[in-house]
Amino acid sequence: MSREPDITALPEPAEPRAENAPVPIWIFTVSFVALFWAMLYFDQRGAWFNPQVYAPYKSLSHLQSFQPPTGGPNLERGRSVYENVCALCHNTDGAGKPNQAPTFIGSEWVLGNPARLIRIPIHGLTGPITVKGESWNLNMAAMGAALSDEDLAAVLTYMRQSWGNKASPITEEQVKAVRAETGNRSQPWTADELKPFE
Amino acid sequence: MNRGPLIFLAAFLALSGSWYTYVVRPSMQLGRFQQTNMLGGSTLYPTARPGLAQQGLEVYRAQGCAYCHSQQVGQEGTRFQLLLTEAGTNTAEVATAVKKLAPQLAGTADPLASLPVAVYSGERRYDFEAASRTLNALGAKAVPQVVPYGADIARGWGKRRTIAEDFLFDSPTLPGSQRVGPDLASVGLRLPDPRWHLRHLYAPASEVKGSKMPPYRYLFETRRVARAPSPDALQLPREYAPPAGYEVVPTPDALALAAYLVSLRADAPLFSAPMTITSTAAPTADTNAPAGATATTPAPAINQ
Repeated sequence: MSREPDITALPEPAEPRAENAPVPIWIFTVSFVALFWAMLYFDQRGAWFNPQVYAPYKSLSHLQSFQPPTGGPNLERGRSVYENVCALCHNTDGAGKPNQAPTFIGSEWVLGNPARLIRIPIHGLTGPITVKGESWNLNMAAMGAALSDEDLAAVLTYMRQSWGNKASPITEEQVKAVRAETGNRSQPWTADELKPFE
Repeated sequence: MNRGPLIFLAAFLALSGSWYTYVVRPSMQLGRFQQTNMLGGSTLYPTARPGLAQQGLEVYRAQGCAYCHSQQVGQEGTRFQLLLTEAGTNTAEVATAVKKLAPQLAGTADPLASLPVAVYSGERRYDFEAASRTLNALGAKAVPQVVPYGADIARGWGKRRTIAEDFLFDSPTLPGSQRVGPDLASVGLRLPDPRWHLRHLYAPASEVKGSKMPPYRYLFETRRVARAPSPDALQLPREYAPPAGYEVVPTPDALALAAYLVSLRADAPLFSAPMTITSTAAPTADTNAPAGATATTPAPAINQ
């Protein structure tokens, strides 16, 4: 017969205490892997929180690569510029307005040499001029001076290819070349001055 | 409780961090949105809704339409498409080039038999532009297109994904989250007749067989025909028509709601949602069917 241990005789166990223990190394490993994955994920889809980039596009350059090609004459753009800038005087159908602006339909000034046509909106036109055998003597302001080369090319192309007109398109390069040639001219053209470009 | 400052700091950081991320940043991003130019022109998008349609937004909100209808179209991707429209004079060379570009046409005897034909369809801009150059050099005419695709677009619910600008003039915005009924982001494009919407609101089943939508008859007034029938009176099929001598006339609320529905057309090509405006006919079949019921529901007849 064994004796029961005398509990009261044992020393009281110490209070439990939290002590500093080393963090297991795997927690660091997993967190770094997760962080790396998050970084890659953000890099692929975050687009740096650009408000213009929506899914399914992943970044601004990805979005840019899907912009429709702008090659060739853009008549829709030309029409938009025409109706905002030119149509007030020359009318939306290009027929002009009596005592205000001559017609564009079948006009030798519109269908003729591009170099001559481009000069008119850039600097304006003043004084007597004959359009389709009709004499005019009015002033046109430099309506196209503020337009970009692309817009000006688009609107002139639209004028040359609408309302039954059929002439070659005008390119951005042609407009650029004319702007470079005329330099810092500030006076509007007269019909006589434009003779050499006929 | 000897960690008071630490707990306070942690709670403060958590709350202010989420406030910044979910309230401040989005309002900085979206609050600065303005009208933008549509692609290839200087037309501004979006424009404010006409006054009646603006009132219709309030009716849409009050009737709880947004509980069953979403206004957000998803998109899975975008692809380039090159449509050969004219073969030009050098048909033999063009046919060879087309066979090389489009493997699915390589087996056919004459790939130019039925124009227009898609000669390139894919997501790689470089290949697309190379194909375009090849064909143009041979004198053929190829139309370049940028086409969004995805399940919602295939259903005919929209032409591109919905973006934040589409809601610029709406307050509150009601994009919805449930799709008990079809998505309405571009309903004005596929059903442009307000009279169709009025008949559909009065008796949904008269326009869409098996429609789950409840009728909104309290937005209409059935009254005795006075001296002459009202020009606004609905032209209903016989089983929904009122008794002889009576007519169904929409209230101002119904007219506003129909005007709002017709004004829903999120189809502008923008920098942030690029696409080409295609002149192909608008999709008509099955476009107004609710999700998951497209196969069995016949297309709504758009009668005058």
